[in-house]
This record gives sequence, structure tokens and C-alpha cells, in this order.
Amino acid sequence: MQNEFAFFPGCVLTQAAIEAKMSLEAIAPILGIKLKEINGWSCCGASQAQDVDPVATLVANARNLALAEQMKLPVLTTCSTCLLMLRRAKAQLDHGEKERINTFLAKGNMNYKGTSEVTSLLWVLAQNADLIKSKVKKPLTGLKVAVFYGCHSVRPEKDLGFESSVNPTSFETVVKALGAEVVPFAKRLDCCGFHAVYPAEKSVMKMTSSIVNSAAESQADCVVTPCPLCQMQLDIYQDDAQDTTKSKTRVPVLHLSQLVGLALGVSAKKLGLDYNVIDANKLG
Amino acid sequence: MKFIIDRFDGKKNYQQTYTVEKKDIEALTLLGTLLFIKQHQDITLNFTASCRMAICGACGVRVNGHSYLGCDTKMTELFEAYKDADTFRISPLANYTVISDLAVDWEPAIENLRKIKPGLVAKDKFSEKEGCVQNQEEYDRIVKQWDCVLCGCCASECNKLSADRSDYMEPFVYTQAWRVANDSRSKDPMIHVKPAVLNGLWNCVHCHECSNRCPKHISSADDIAGLRALAMKKGLNSGVGPAHAKSFYTDLVEDSGRLNEIRLALRTEGVSTALRAGTAITLMRAGKMNPLEIFGGHTIEGHKDLVKMIEAAKAANKE
Repeated sequence: MQNEFAFFPGCVLTQAAIEAKMSLEAIAPILGIKLKEINGWSCCGASQAQDVDPVATLVANARNLALAEQMKLPVLTTCSTCLLMLRRAKAQLDHGEKERINTFLAKGNMNYKGTSEVTSLLWVLAQNADLIKSKVKKPLTGLKVAVFYGCHSVRPEKDLGFESSVNPTSFETVVKALGAEVVPFAKRLDCCGFHAVYPAEKSVMKMTSSIVNSAAESQADCVVTPCPLCQMQLDIYQDDAQDTTKSKTRVPVLHLSQLVGLALGVSAKKLGLDYNVIDANKLG
Repeated sequence: MKFIIDRFDGKKNYQQTYTVEKKDIEALTLLGTLLFIKQHQDITLNFTASCRMAICGACGVRVNGHSYLGCDTKMTELFEAYKDADTFRISPLANYTVISDLAVDWEPAIENLRKIKPGLVAKDKFSEKEGCVQNQEEYDRIVKQWDCVLCGCCASECNKLSADRSDYMEPFVYTQAWRVANDSRSKDPMIHVKPAVLNGLWNCVHCHECSNRCPKHISSADDIAGLRALAMKKGLNSGVGPAHAKSFYTDLVEDSGRLNEIRLALRTEGVSTALRAGTAITLMRAGKMNPLEIFGGHTIEGHKDLVKMIEAAKAANKE
């Protein structure tokens, strides 16, 4: 198992999803994963900055990847949008853009080589499901989980490429290894709408509400997602979304790292369950 | 094996199950399987198809909730994607009105296509006598988007259209707008960009279903981003969408190098951010947002060099 990574937290983990960072830092040592944060990492552009300047966004991510290369480590991120932005940048660089972009990186005495791969927490856990199973202290027996992949964990398949985008299994593999029950969930591959919550608010609230209601109809105790942006959307906007559709349903929304932590026996406090807006403490 | 097919007779929806031997269809395409069922089991089953060579785009349908171009999809691919499932659910494209069984109404989508003026409005310098030519490099820039066969697979899976299609258009419409706006022979890209902006360009939810399902591997999501960048460059940059995108860029280049979530709201919505006060208070109560961040965060190590790199890229782009 590759157990040492150049860690790319992404902006969200240092701000509104602080509990995602807390829970990740709590589970990593138990699983034997060493995360070395990349010094000087910048925002990946968050699937937004390319609308202003696509080349500047590519330059920023080439620099992020070059910083990881200097550490001689593969990149790991827990944010699916960061994952997509970094992997797309790497694909662009490795398929024709490297030379041109390196002329710009040279202005800061940096150079992209293409030696560091980019992976996600979900993928690493899925590849090591047996190891996770062996570390479980409190099997999540009886906990009904609606797994919500989030767009940028699986799409576009050509850029992410870890598994089928129409029939992915990595998340179910991990959740089952923790002893939880994966419930049938019609919206598991839908979009939560996070990236358009400002310009298309009404549509996004409808999308968020339908996901929460679908999970509830599946009798799920919680929704779990590997993407901190999806978690934010489904958690902090849940009240607003449910008000929009006049639904009284509320479902806790956990980060993948929080669910793993529960099974590993980490305390609710260390997993930051207090920071979840929809009460998740009852799961701890 | 079983195929559960959604039927619609003009009045009522129902499902019909057809059982076929795997050996009879495993060498066929998805369209071949539909034709096999129609020929051998049910002449009344309706669907649209034409060229059988992935040129016309007529045979788009959904399998297990995901769109496929029937003639371009081998059954072996479906067996692999769905782990040798013995039952498949076949449905009409989503986000279209169903006419009969798997046949859908294309007229509203074509109306949207008309809005962005997909035909070339050539520069004045071109004439009937001189022709309207472009060099290889200029042609290569738009050749991918010319591959669009209007199959509707992108529109079928579009999460924004599913939520509300009153303020958004089919992703392929934006792709067609990108194609003609970026054609070197085009008189003015804004003839196509402006109606795209006015008809929902900034409402894309970034789900990438369009790029994922396109049988021609075109990314409408990227074309939407390209149209947005072109709109901004040409000064069509007012509104929440452009302000939101610009705030990420500003944080990256002009501020700390990382996103500042409190400033993001202010920069995106200005004074009307007060409407989100409830959410902000919820976040602060949960300890998830530090109001002091409004004064700015810690600038990343090497930010000056990052700016130099981006400035160099900008300068090269202007050359």
C-alpha cells in the first residue's frame, strides 16, 4: 500500500469543512496513512476560475503538481472538485501542454515533469478495503447509509478513470467494509448543485431537496459523501432546500472520513460531528 | 435475459418486459437489440433510428438511467459496464417530452438551437467570388464540435435541465454556439454568445453528465466554460454568475492564493448577500465560518511567483 502522500487539502477543508480535516487527521494515523501537506498550494480554481482565464487556472494547477513532485510523492485530496481540477490539469500537461506551461512556471523557477499521480481518499480506501476492515473497532452494524458519490468523484470518466461512471462500486466497497448497510438510493449519482448555488439557486435547492428526500425514502439513517462540497451543499443548505419544497424531512450528512472514523472507534468530538449543521451526533 | 422497456401509447405510461436469449443479442448493438425485439416479438414497439453508423444521432435512448447512442453501443459494453446484469431497463431520453414509447419530441430543443443562430454569419471580407475559406489550424480548432450529431444524450442526463428547463438550454446548444462563435470566418462571435448568455449560460451546475455521455466525446461543459470566458473577455460580465467566477480568480491571483469564503459571498452578490444572513449565522454558530476572515487570510508561500507565472501566461496569450 502506498501510504505516504503529498496532501492537497483544498480551500474548503481549511474553512467551511473544518470537520472534514479533523476527521481525516483522526483516521489517517490509524490506517497508517501519512499526509504531508503541500507547502504553498493554491486554490485549484474550483471549477470556476477557468471561466475567467483557463490558461491561468492550468498554470496554477501545474504549479500545485510541480510542488508535489518536489516532495517525490503522489498527490492525495479529499475534495472531488480539487481531484477533477488536478487530474484534468495533469492530463492536459501530459498530452501536449507541458512544454508551453513550463515556460510560464520557469518565471518562478519551477518545472512540471509529470511524475506525481493524483488520487483521492475514496480511491485509496477502496483499494485497501481489507486493511480498513481489519482496523474496524466498532462495526457500523445496522447503520443504513445512502452513499452519495458527487459528480466530480466519477465524471467525466475519461479524466477520473478509476471506475465506471455509470456503475461505480468503490464507495459501496468502503462502506460495506465498515460494517454498514448500503441502502438502494436512486439519487446516488446525481448532482447536488453546489457549483451553481449562486446563479441558479432555485434549481439547486430543488436538486438538494430531492436528494435528501430520496435518501429518506430509502430509510437511510444518513447520507455519506466523499466530497466536502457535496457535504456542504446537502448539510448547510438542507434547511433552506427543504423549506423551498415544503419538506419536513431532515437527514444527517457525513463526510466519508467521519463515517470511517466512527467505525474505527474515534470519538464524535475528534470527528467534528458537532460542526455538522444537521444533527449528526446521534450517529456517534 | 430481460429488457424492461418504458412504453407510452399517447395516454398512459407502462412498462413491458421482453425476454430474449443472450446468444441472440450479444453480438449486436443496443439498436440491433431493439430492432431484434421489434422484429421478433413486438412490432408495436416504437423508437427512432436512421443511419446505424453514429452519424445521424437518431437512436439515443437510456439504459439503466444513462443515455447511450443505440447504434454506437455494443451490447458487450453494456454487459461489462453493468457487471453481466441479466436485466436492463430501457427508457426514452430524459428531459424531453415522450411522443410514443422511446420516441421523443425534438421541437423545443430545435427552437433553442435556433436562438443561438448556429449558421455561420461570415465576415464582410468574404464574397461569393473569393469564397469563405479557413486554414487547417483554424479548422482544427472547431472540428471536434462539428462532430456533434444532435443525438440528445447530453441533454438527457443534464441535471440542470432535470431541475428546471425554463432557464437553461440543452448542452449541445451551447456546444453549437461555441463552434460557430469560434469559427475564424465568423463575423462576430457575440451574435452567438449573447443569446447563450441570455438563455442560461451561467446556470450550468458543472455535473459533467453532458461530457460524460456524449458518444462523440465532446465536452459541452468545456464549451460552456469557453463561452463564458469569451463573454467575459468581450465585456459581457455583469451578473451573479460572472461575479462568482471572478471572485475565485481574484482570490487566486490578487489576494492570498486561496479562496476566501466570506469574501466570496460579498463579491458574488454584493449587498444582497444580506439575504444569506441566515445561512451565514448558521455557519458561524456551527463554528464553520470565522467572520474575521473578511479581512483576508494568510497569503500562500510563493504567491508572488505564482502571479509572475500567470502574468507570463497572460502576456503570451496577448502576443
